[in-house]
Amino acid sequence: MEYLEIIKKLEEEALHPKKSVIKEIKETGKKAIGCFPIYTPEEIIYAAGFLPVAMWGGNTELKLADKYLQSFCCSIMRANIEYGMKGDYNMLEAVVLPTFCDTLKCVCENWKVAVPNIPIVPIVYPQNRTIDCGFEYMEDEFKRVKDEISKIANKEIKDEEINEAFELYEEYRNTMREFVEVASDYPQIINLRKRHLIIKAGQFADKKRYTEEIKVIIAGLKKEELKPFNGTKVIATGLLSEPVEILDIFDENNIAVMGDDLAQESRQWRTIVNDNSGNVWKKMVSRVADQRGDTFFYEYMKSRGNRLIEMVKDKSADGVVVFMMKFCDPEEYDYPIYKQEVEAAGIPILYLEIDQQITSYEQIRTRIQSYSEMLMMRR
Amino acid sequence: MYLGIDIGSSSSKAVVLNEKNEIAGISVKNLGTGTDAHKEVVAEALSNAGITEEYINYTVVTGYGRVNYDKADRQITEITCHAKGVAHYNNDVKTIVDIGGQDSKVIKLNENMQVDNFVMNEKCAAGTGRFLEVMARVLGCSLDDLSEMAKKATTQISISSVCTVFAESEVISRLSGGESRENVARGAHIAIAKRVMGMCNRVGYAPKVVMTGGVALNEDMVDVLSNELGLDIEVLPNCQAIGAIGAATFAHDLYKKMEADNNAN
Amino acid sequence: MEEKKLTSKELLNSLVDQHYEGALKAKAEGKPVVWATSICPQELLETMGLTTVYPENHAAAIGAKKEALKFIEHAEGKGYSADICSYARVNMGYVDLKHSDVLNIPMPDMIFCCSNICNTVIKWYENLAKELNIPLVMFDMPFNHTYEVPNHSVKYMRGQIEYAIKQLEDFTKRKFDYDKFGEVMEISNKTCEWWKKATDWAKVTPSPLNGFDMFNYMAMIVCMRGNKDGERLFKLWHDELEQKAKNGLGPWKSADEEYRVMWDGIACWPHLATTFKTLKKYGINMVTSTYPESWYVRYEKNDLDGMARAYASNYANRNLDYDTENVAKLIEDFSLDGIIYHSNRSCKLMDFRQYEVQRRVTDMTGCPSVVFDGDQTDPRSFSEAQYETRVQALLEMMEKNKETKRRG
Repeated sequence: MEYLEIIKKLEEEALHPKKSVIKEIKETGKKAIGCFPIYTPEEIIYAAGFLPVAMWGGNTELKLADKYLQSFCCSIMRANIEYGMKGDYNMLEAVVLPTFCDTLKCVCENWKVAVPNIPIVPIVYPQNRTIDCGFEYMEDEFKRVKDEISKIANKEIKDEEINEAFELYEEYRNTMREFVEVASDYPQIINLRKRHLIIKAGQFADKKRYTEEIKVIIAGLKKEELKPFNGTKVIATGLLSEPVEILDIFDENNIAVMGDDLAQESRQWRTIVNDNSGNVWKKMVSRVADQRGDTFFYEYMKSRGNRLIEMVKDKSADGVVVFMMKFCDPEEYDYPIYKQEVEAAGIPILYLEIDQQITSYEQIRTRIQSYSEMLMMRR
Repeated sequence: MYLGIDIGSSSSKAVVLNEKNEIAGISVKNLGTGTDAHKEVVAEALSNAGITEEYINYTVVTGYGRVNYDKADRQITEITCHAKGVAHYNNDVKTIVDIGGQDSKVIKLNENMQVDNFVMNEKCAAGTGRFLEVMARVLGCSLDDLSEMAKKATTQISISSVCTVFAESEVISRLSGGESRENVARGAHIAIAKRVMGMCNRVGYAPKVVMTGGVALNEDMVDVLSNELGLDIEVLPNCQAIGAIGAATFAHDLYKKMEADNNAN
Repeated sequence: MEEKKLTSKELLNSLVDQHYEGALKAKAEGKPVVWATSICPQELLETMGLTTVYPENHAAAIGAKKEALKFIEHAEGKGYSADICSYARVNMGYVDLKHSDVLNIPMPDMIFCCSNICNTVIKWYENLAKELNIPLVMFDMPFNHTYEVPNHSVKYMRGQIEYAIKQLEDFTKRKFDYDKFGEVMEISNKTCEWWKKATDWAKVTPSPLNGFDMFNYMAMIVCMRGNKDGERLFKLWHDELEQKAKNGLGPWKSADEEYRVMWDGIACWPHLATTFKTLKKYGINMVTSTYPESWYVRYEKNDLDGMARAYASNYANRNLDYDTENVAKLIEDFSLDGIIYHSNRSCKLMDFRQYEVQRRVTDMTGCPSVVFDGDQTDPRSFSEAQYETRVQALLEMMEKNKETKRRG
């Protein structure tokens, strides 16, 4: 398939998650296991013969979730509970939920009651992840989750199978790193909407075929002529850049994303394995221990601000756009710290407060357009 | 001549500028998007300027309703237009506080009177004209009466609720408890000033500070905010129409540029 | 000359003053000061003789004395969302302003964070370390989604205790005295025992303990578990309550206890008087909450695993089954007539299970309850009208139950 056709296909898949998951289940013959944000050991799920699919909420009316969650709860979690209660997730065999924040802990408990037909496997990542007892604990926890998944699969999962899955995921992560680099050279072809949807499609796909498709896109792009971009260049940071209608406003205002520090995107693959032991458990643990500038992993002398400044310099970007998911406590704590650092470096920040159930875009449009006007006038 | 139109959420404004960038016509009506008020203010501004539509070389539209208005040559956001409009009166402004009917914003300017940073509040009624409307209703007076009433306050009371709905109930309790209407009116102004102060701090404010938007017509509000900021606040003439003045100024600039480009070819 | 015998209230006030003055004095003398979270393994700090203050206590006091808004607005001006914990907002404001008209604490030289109470403190303390550029000791206590604390979590926490001891040795340039550690553990356990015994006297009808008073003593169970003064205070308080109970005395001099409730969550510090008076008006006494249990941290002396397990076991770090059974047991043990759930805008970890806990407890016990909106230190997130209405609704339910019992 020609690379532009693949892009169109992936965009469609990303826009219709439920349909895509059902289709992928059919085509791979695998059953699916849902993965709550932010990180889950997908390799273990894949090795068990399941299809891991991400659950980053969605734009749904919230009615049933109010039974469990007050209105000041993050919209991704409310949406996930809503979908679970409505039956939209009934194609899943189980869900895996990492307790990265207080809200996730509560959602874990509520899920057991609210969606009893879909078993939940919680995983508790260590925050003290750079010391020996943290490494051991992470490995113990991964192995415990492996046992839980084994029970659901009704078969043993061998270490070699996990290693094979891990190598596949490394290939995927490698490819995605290359994709975002190459895409930043072709903002006229890979606009913000396309960039996001291409990445998102991977969350509902078997990584094996998806990685191949991304490789075709990369090869196709590299053949294209490099054209200078005269619009505004930014670095995006936050949980996720949704709904997609907001990205359309960026595209309308000729703003391109040169790189991202988003939980749903680059943070999923940017940490490189730094372990030579050859042991897959150690490799998985090392990726957790080495993650930096991440909202959900404790980091002494947090480096997110510096990372954003480096990214801006590296790409000669004009500014940083903050996609602040309303009610996300950990993100709200990070903001004042990196805001100070980034502004001190003379980099203008656009702060957008978003939630997934947004219906009117006029106010966001004004903010994005004003930011673009502000940057253009400075040139 | 040049036409600037500001179609806000609760008011519509139009300004006509002549070749010397003097205000030839101006009109403000307290009805916003979703009504025909924008047509009326344009008609009135043109009439004040003594011209008809054909004499307008270029039109820029701004405000909440700008995206659906299709008769303009260009649409620019009210943030950028406010900065431009303020420059019409003053060249050393560093901070613009705009409190409108349904939103409020604080704009930081650099030495070239260009936008450096901005903070907006459009989701919540607290900190906007809407809050005052609710208070005025509870006090049984009109919006215009609030300032005079507040000036007669004898004590500072605080309305602590951050939510307008809770605040309404808090005020009703106070009034039935015997608190004076004057003190409550002053308290309402203090509540708005605190919200706006938060926005000023986030964006980083510095003198000279000016206030625009309908709420700037409330003298007591301006005094209270000035106290909170610890700085004098100047209310610009035609404070409600600053966005439209800015839009009209842009219309002039863009037309001149267009002409220069045409001549170059 | 015989020393005049202090009441526990007098001793409490004197210890509170000593605590804060002592900290300021230590700082002035160039001694290091530590800031710590409220249910942390203070045994380590006490063993090292490190002067420690608790920002949560400090924020609560500032809230109660009505000065919180100044610090909150300052923090919000820096970009902190009104959405996050108001203790953190007060503290981040205080870190900049460095001065309060009502109560001051010295800036820290080290911070000590334990995540058993929530994940929020991890982010808060992460920010403190960065703002102040000081060392941070992190105790991560994994969330217990199973009923009991799993063994591999205990192993991880044990490892962190050992690591922390090394960090403290590096910081103080002194060796950790394991003998003293043993003593401190003993005292800590004894103090917790007295705390529990004292608060348990509220099981008697009428309760000699006015629950709102318990909130006051709570400040000291936070910061004085590991020293003799703490042990002395809680024993004294216990003895007074025992005496009152034996004399059949209720919580208040000016009114009788008509109804007994549990208050779920922390107090609304800026509205303490209002929330208390409204209940007292109707003869409603708060006899318990989930807090007495949270500071009942008991383990065998020198058993580090046991210590880790005990700290990891507090209410906020447990699953829904445990929480529900815990509340149901309190209803029985304390002969409760009703429950008031404080939906505390600042505390998502408590709030987002509240509805389900309320439903299950009602199913299990039939005990009436109400939920009201408030906040621990932000004075703006409370409506007196709403609170009064909800309390009245609870009263009507409790009255009806009493009627039914009388007839039946």
